Order: sequence, then structure tokens, then C-alpha cells
Amino acid sequence: MRMSYTRQLLIERPDIPRVAIGILVAIMLFGLFSVGFDQGQLFSLVEGKEAFDSNWLHEFVHDMRHAAGFPCH
Amino acid sequence: MRSLPFLLVTLVSGAVAGTILGIVNLGVVEPYIDKAIQLETQNEIRAGENVNTDEMAGYRIWQKSGEIVGGIVYGISLSSLFGIVFAYSRNSLPGNNVKVKAILLASIMCFVLFIVPSLKYPSNPPAVGDPDTIYYRQSLFVAFLVISGASALGVTALIKKINQTVSKKVAIACTIYGAIIIVSYLAMPSNPDKISISMNLVEAFRLVSAATIVMFWEILGATYGTLWNRFNRQNLKKVTAF
Repeated sequence: MRMSYTRQLLIERPDIPRVAIGILVAIMLFGLFSVGFDQGQLFSLVEGKEAFDSNWLHEFVHDMRHAAGFPCH
Repeated sequence: MRSLPFLLVTLVSGAVAGTILGIVNLGVVEPYIDKAIQLETQNEIRAGENVNTDEMAGYRIWQKSGEIVGGIVYGISLSSLFGIVFAYSRNSLPGNNVKVKAILLASIMCFVLFIVPSLKYPSNPPAVGDPDTIYYRQSLFVAFLVISGASALGVTALIKKINQTVSKKVAIACTIYGAIIIVSYLAMPSNPDKISISMNLVEAFRLVSAATIVMFWEILGATYGTLWNRFNRQNLKKVTAF
């Protein structure tokens, strides 16, 4: 008696998309700087020196910055 | 996994974990921040400074309103890093269950990037940090963070090249990493700011905020693993052999 069978294999593609890695690196650096380190620098790009006094972004993420363990004033 | 699902899994899991972190922080961390700011304001009034309480109240509303958005940005930025590390290390992590692997990696990253730096430079509530030392403190914090992260990465690369059993590799990795961290801990300067408010408040704040960050990492790992399983099925190439 002749037997036949079908076998299915699932093969995972090993490639990691480098464009996606680059995008994630950019998001990570921008996000961490915004939440953890900005002292007015980001908004000073459009607002000028006034941004260092108003600290709009810094104050907006102020409580999360403290809670996440970043140094703050 | 292709770019779009990979980005989607990474960013969505970070946004989910970050949103939960923001909501939980509003309930459990905010009371300590409020209390610290209240003490800071009282100290300023006692010192004879002119404090505009209406302006302060407005500031607090603005600061609290950013808690969830801040959590989302924080979550997405850390999930971006997590996604990169997971993409490169998932085949080296023990076990076959992707969700368990993601939770394990999240736990390791939480230890390396949050718990270890916190041992040297713990989080502080408002009223502790001196604005004049902010850049110095940021430099110290980043230096310790980089030392911890780079050491973990270097040790992982090193033990991959060693021909030993898994348990011995783990023991070697922990020993080298631990030695680097202990030396760095002793060598690096302490936080220069004096704590002038109640230590009970500071310690309670540190404990509660650390608990929510640990929770964040675990949610990130679990969500990431779940979404990875769901989206990665599309990228499995079906091969039929006779």
C-alpha cells in the first residue's frame, strides 16, 4: 500500500528592516530628549531665547520626568 | 517582519504601556508631587520670596495635563529602543514563547536602564533638585545610564563568543556586569543637591514611582510579545514539501 503525506514548514524571514531601525532610533532619541532632558532647547528653535524662560515643553512633561527618574529642577 | 508591522507593533505597544503609566501615575505618584511642591512653596514663602499662588495653581494644571502625553512619549521612545533590541536578540533569548521572551527582555532592560541607574541617582520629587546643577546632574545620570547599558550590551556580545554552558555564561555575564557597575558606582560623584524636605516623602516617592516604572516595562513586554505574535504570522512563509 502506497502512503503519501504532506508536511508544512513555517520559515521565519531573518531580515530586520534597517529603515525601520533607523526610524526607531530617531524616535527614541527625540522622545527621550523631549521627556527627560529638554530645558527649552527644542522650542528655542522657533521661539528663540524666550523658550528657556517659559520652558513650555519642560513644564508639560514635568511630572512624568520626575516619576521616570530623570533629573529635574 | 516587514517595516510597517514592525513599526506598528513597536510604537503601539509603547503607546499602550505609556498611556497606562500616565493614568496610574496620575493616581499614585501625583499626590507625592503635589505634597513636595506644597512644601517647596511653603519654604519659599518662609524665606520671604514673593510667590504668586494663582500662577502656581495654573502651572500645576499645565504640568498634570501633560502626565498622560508625557507617558505616551516616554513609552514610545523606550519601546523604540526595546523593539530594536528585541529584533536583534529574540533568537538568543531562552524559550520558544515570544511573549515570554519579550517579558524577559523587558525585565532585563528595566533592570539595566532603570533600576541600576536609580541605585546611584534615584528619582527625586520636586523641591529637591537645584536648577543651577541641572546640566551637571543630567551629565552624571546619562553617564551612568550609558555605562550600564553599554556594559550589558558588551557583556552579552562577549558571552556569545565563549564556548560554555548557558549557566556558566550567565554567571560570567553577571560577574563582569556587576563588577563594572560596582566600580562605576564607587567612582562616580554623588548627586550634589542636598535634600531639605522630609526623607519619608522622598523615599515614598521613589518607591511608588519605581513601582510604576517596573509596571510599565512589564506591560510593554507583554503587549509587545502579544502584538508580535499577531502580526508576525503574516510574515511566515508557508512551504509545502511532499
